[in-house]
Amino acid sequence: MGSAGEAEPPDVWSARSAGTLQVRPLADRTGWQAAGEISLSTRPAWERALGCLAQQDAEVCHLELSAVTFVDVAGASALAVAAQGLPEGRRIMLEQPPASLGRVLDMFWPDLRSVEVVSR
Amino acid sequence: MTAPATESFVHPALFYRGEEEYVDGTVPFVREGLEAGEPVAVAVPGPKLGVLRKALGAAAAEVRLIDMTQAGRNPGRIIPRVLRGFADAHPEKRVRIIGEPIWPDRTGVEYPACAQHEALINSAFEGRDVTILCPYDAEGLDEQTLTDAYATHPVVISGGRQQRSPSYAPELVVERYNEPLEIMEAAEGYVFGADELPTARYFVVERAERLGLSGLRLEDLALVAAELTTNSVVHGGGSGTVRVWGEGGQVVCEVRDRGYLKDPLAGRRPSPPAQLGGRGLLLVNFLTDLVRIHTGPDGTVVRCYVDV
Repeated sequence: MGSAGEAEPPDVWSARSAGTLQVRPLADRTGWQAAGEISLSTRPAWERALGCLAQQDAEVCHLELSAVTFVDVAGASALAVAAQGLPEGRRIMLEQPPASLGRVLDMFWPDLRSVEVVSR
Repeated sequence: MTAPATESFVHPALFYRGEEEYVDGTVPFVREGLEAGEPVAVAVPGPKLGVLRKALGAAAAEVRLIDMTQAGRNPGRIIPRVLRGFADAHPEKRVRIIGEPIWPDRTGVEYPACAQHEALINSAFEGRDVTILCPYDAEGLDEQTLTDAYATHPVVISGGRQQRSPSYAPELVVERYNEPLEIMEAAEGYVFGADELPTARYFVVERAERLGLSGLRLEDLALVAAELTTNSVVHGGGSGTVRVWGEGGQVVCEVRDRGYLKDPLAGRRPSPPAQLGGRGLLLVNFLTDLVRIHTGPDGTVVRCYVDV
């Protein structure tokens, strides 16, 4: 998997500052772990991570979002559009996303089958 | 009341006085639609829904019944969610909808948004095979509302008689109710640019929480604040000022910037699933209880009201 964000040292990873997003590969499964906020300034990093997911061969790609505190509508849109572009049979598993992300996905993409949500 | 064959979109107002005229004006409209095999939806205030359900009897089961005081609480979401929501679900057929967006309890703050909504239905549905009948309580609503209904509907039915409106001019209604929104001096303003987008959002959430908003409603307002402030940065001159205050049991969140919102249907068009952007104002309409906008060459004010 390519680089969707800089490899951050652990102390920076745990320190959440306003409007930042860190993305790093998951150690034990295909996908990314993200921390911070997905909004205008961090959207490029988020879209890079989604772009990399689309290039994976794995049937299920994971996005571990337990440390993501906010996702704006454009961030949700980028995810939904990436999911719609996946080949048949592939899907994205959202792990512990902020509740509002699930609600925005339900509001605008009620029929999106290629995204599965594992709730907080 | 049958649609003239030459026009695809038909948008009559029905002035009714009392329950009998209401039933007489709406039930045959519904039955005609069902007999023609048209999908029919009725979006009216809850008590009126009860009246129609009773009058329609078994046929009510074939009609999509929607409480407009809930679905259309914010007039700005009636076109995308209620009307196009139903019409777009039946692209192959003419659809028939009763939509009653204005009732006597609508406040003076809500009314300008209601009138603009009625006016914008015409451009939103131009060329579509849709009939939308809008009942107006001629006994309970004021004169200005009924005068505006003549301007927002090409056809008006009153006392059982149908006539072309002599004063149909929906653009003028959109313009007239583009009313200036004065600065609320008592509320502290937070000036933001691109770098302050996150802190502008925290500012809104913190103040709204102090005013009693919590849980999902507070999360919704965070989303709304993000869309409005991001719009200012991307489309509204790069910066703006956000204010939050309490007003009559609601939290008000307002964003001012130097942009000019030229498209009156912005935020009222459902977005195709594969479209990447353009959902900001649509989301704002979906998640708030009222949106008032003033826009012009000198700038734009978007004011959102959320019930606590």
